[in-house]
Amino acid sequence: MEMNIFGYKCKKCGTVHYPFRTICKKCGHTIFADKAEGYELVPLSKKGKLLTWTRLRSLPGDFEVPELLLGIVQLDDGNRVTGQLDIASPKTGMKVDGEVRIVRRDGYNEYKGMVFESA
Amino acid sequence: MREVYCVGIGITSFTRLEYPLAEIAAYPGMMALKDSGLSKVDHVYVANMGGGKVNHQTGLASAVVDQLSLAPAGAETIENGPASGASAVKQGFMAVASGMCDTVMVIGAERMREVNDLESTEFVATLTHPHAEYIYGVTLPSLAGMFARLYMDKYGATPRHLGMVAVKNHDHAMDNFFAHLHERITLEGIIDSPEASTNNPIVADPLRFYDCCPVSDGAACVILASGDAAKKTGKPRVRLAGVGQATDTLAVHDRKDPTDLLAARGAAANAFKMAGLKPSQVDVAELHDAFTILEIAESEEVGFFKKGEGHLALEKGETRLGGSLPINPSGGLKAKGHPVGATGVGQAHEIVLQLRGEAEKRQVKGAKVGFTCNFGGFGNNVVCLAFKKEG
Ligand SMILES: [Zn+2]
Repeated sequence: MEMNIFGYKCKKCGTVHYPFRTICKKCGHTIFADKAEGYELVPLSKKGKLLTWTRLRSLPGDFEVPELLLGIVQLDDGNRVTGQLDIASPKTGMKVDGEVRIVRRDGYNEYKGMVFESA
Repeated sequence: MREVYCVGIGITSFTRLEYPLAEIAAYPGMMALKDSGLSKVDHVYVANMGGGKVNHQTGLASAVVDQLSLAPAGAETIENGPASGASAVKQGFMAVASGMCDTVMVIGAERMREVNDLESTEFVATLTHPHAEYIYGVTLPSLAGMFARLYMDKYGATPRHLGMVAVKNHDHAMDNFFAHLHERITLEGIIDSPEASTNNPIVADPLRFYDCCPVSDGAACVILASGDAAKKTGKPRVRLAGVGQATDTLAVHDRKDPTDLLAARGAAANAFKMAGLKPSQVDVAELHDAFTILEIAESEEVGFFKKGEGHLALEKGETRLGGSLPINPSGGLKAKGHPVGATGVGQAHEIVLQLRGEAEKRQVKGAKVGFTCNFGGFGNNVVCLAFKKEG
């Protein structure tokens, strides 16, 4: 099954929050109340444009790679996410395609998140 | 509100310190007591970010108040990320301004080098959003790198401008005995020469080694007092005239324009408003240059220069000692060092020294108004302070 990253759509005003927020920034609706009343889960788009990026060479200890490419992507649905890049030479503004993969392991825990490739 | 004055200051070297955290914190407290002539204070605030995680010590203020034999004075530890220091100054200000206390000791202290650089960077990275940023390996340098790329593309600042901040602040730190780095650098050495890429490797591109502050241990102290209590000390009348704070989204990608540092803009505006001062009246400032790009961006957001023109003022030498508005005469976080919880108090220490006219070789001549910006998280919690010399 295809995995997704979900945004939280306010049931009152339709604003999509990513990451989760307890009270809607736009209309003050209590998103946290409960899923039926508060929010609807919406899968975030996986296509978008690279807004900015960095090549990180000083990595947190649990990453066993020499460098990590990180970026902020402006998604086609208007939302924005931070993610890892699987792109040799990123360029600001380039079109990217995302996929949910394992992005970090610590001990027995695996964390999944968005990884983007050049579209 | 009552008026609040700075009557005592103290600082340690910002470097690697082989002492227990509570002793590092107590040292500038002792110096500040001596400086003020006071032997007791009503309350102690201790800013610290990593005691619990890095040094296995929580409730630091209780240890410090005992170290200084100030019990039964009230004592609290303040944790607000890298803005802990200025946050503690703010708490001290409120305690005196409200009339609840006449004298308050504010200490900022950190001992990060008890662990290695990777662990300390990792510890600071816990400031980022746990699910939307942290899991990807996002650290503060990587957020600064992404910010720098966006900012430079938009406003035309170049890696040379970043280098100019580093060179300037390293130069300033040469005259600060307490600074972490006493190392003169040149644009030739870090950018232009064939060896530059070895001397100055990528950390989080476009940011390189010399764009990032060192990991420091250290502590600083400022004692605040009411007008009457200050008069009794006979110290120069340096008033903490304005305190401002503002916050922004935790995840950087969640900001409408990620190059806008709205919390810095808001905190500065609030501090200036309370003080009844304008940015154009500031004679000397300490800004939070954990990364070189931040000095440029903050110099605009707090109102010294127009948006997008900070790098031009830098280029003209306006922000260097001897220029129209010297920024970071202490060497800044870049060269003075960045013991996270101590930084905001260290900035206040420098401004009090400058307004007293006691900054020796790095003195900004005739400085009467000083300003600090202590930037927490990646700009999601910022505290600014405005100081004024009276009489
Ligand atoms: Zn809403």
